Amino acid sequence: MSEIIRMVVVLSVIAGFSAAALTTANIQLGPRVDAQIDLYVRGPALERLFHKPAKDVLGNKVVIDVDGVGIPVFYTLQDKVVSTLAIEAIGKGGFGGDLKLMVGIDLIKERQTGIEVVSHSETPGLGARIVEIAFRRQWQGLPIDTPVALTADGGAIDAISGASTTSRAAVNGTNSALDFVRERKAEILKLIAER
Amino acid sequence: MQQKFTDVLTAGLWKRIPPFRLVLGLCPSLAVTMSAENGLGMGLATAFVVTLSNGAISSLRNVIPAKVRIASYIVVIATLVSIVEILMKAFFFPLSEQLGIYIPLIVVNCIVLGRAEAFASKNPPFISMVDGFSVGVGYAISLTLIGSLREIFGAGTWFGHLVFGEAFEPMSFLVSAPGAFMTIGTLLALQNLFSRWRGEKFIQG
Repeated sequence: MSEIIRMVVVLSVIAGFSAAALTTANIQLGPRVDAQIDLYVRGPALERLFHKPAKDVLGNKVVIDVDGVGIPVFYTLQDKVVSTLAIEAIGKGGFGGDLKLMVGIDLIKERQTGIEVVSHSETPGLGARIVEIAFRRQWQGLPIDTPVALTADGGAIDAISGASTTSRAAVNGTNSALDFVRERKAEILKLIAER
Repeated sequence: MQQKFTDVLTAGLWKRIPPFRLVLGLCPSLAVTMSAENGLGMGLATAFVVTLSNGAISSLRNVIPAKVRIASYIVVIATLVSIVEILMKAFFFPLSEQLGIYIPLIVVNCIVLGRAEAFASKNPPFISMVDGFSVGVGYAISLTLIGSLREIFGAGTWFGHLVFGEAFEPMSFLVSAPGAFMTIGTLLALQNLFSRWRGEKFIQG
């Protein structure tokens, strides 16, 4: 009997120590890991959206809390006025899972500046063509007050041939970002002003 | 004591060098050695884990009941591997992206568990850490060697620098999966031939 108790106690103590060590490591290095993910994963997309080196933009980040999920929003300033926002959006319903997009919004001209794909797991040659500029170019200059839609659904976006599921996921992601800006613009601008 | 220390320290570099002598840890050796850099990164991560896990397990060897020893070892090893993963993400992000799933898989790397069971559970902490360090460094050297051969002949570069110039036509199959089997098989055969020629006893373990 005492042997069983000893086994349980020893294993529990070891597991407890391990959990404590891992928590410490995670708390200590978490912010650094986030910064690295920003630099290497979101950085390239932001560079193309803002036409600026990633290092200049990465510091301009606010995180908006929506139902417990933090949505990162990056911005640029022009004459101390927020000119462009880049909002991370999830394109639900991709063929190989959700797409992670970055939607660029010009607040002064009230137009979209384009979308960038941060990460995806679509089929190479079909859905993966979402990274090609030919498809994403269609977003440039679209108004921000009307939702985007595929031509099949009566909108202006030509889907990638053979990959309408992926195209629709990109459209959904954009619309969620547009809704997000419409509903929370004041909150975003307030957070930026407080920095 | 001095004699034992030197023996243990050098054993990992030839007598017990994984994966050639100690034929363990073949899965990462085959999978991640597309380039010298990947091999070195994976080798160093494993060396770090096996050194610390040997130390931790050896200090606990009189406390851990024999019946749950494997479970306890795995918990200790998994913790160390997770810490390595966090460290790599924080400081070497591109490398950790390339090694991907193979970093968490160090947990089930037979070398780590093998050294814990065969050495650390029977020896005091310091000498166990020396053993882990030696085997880990041996593994890092082997992986770097395999990665270098595959990268030099398969891509014409070494650590990303051009070796043969533009005119060299690389044997790109060496960088793909079959090339890994070819390279490791050839190196194993050469190692066995050399040992036989020297008249060494074959100790694999």
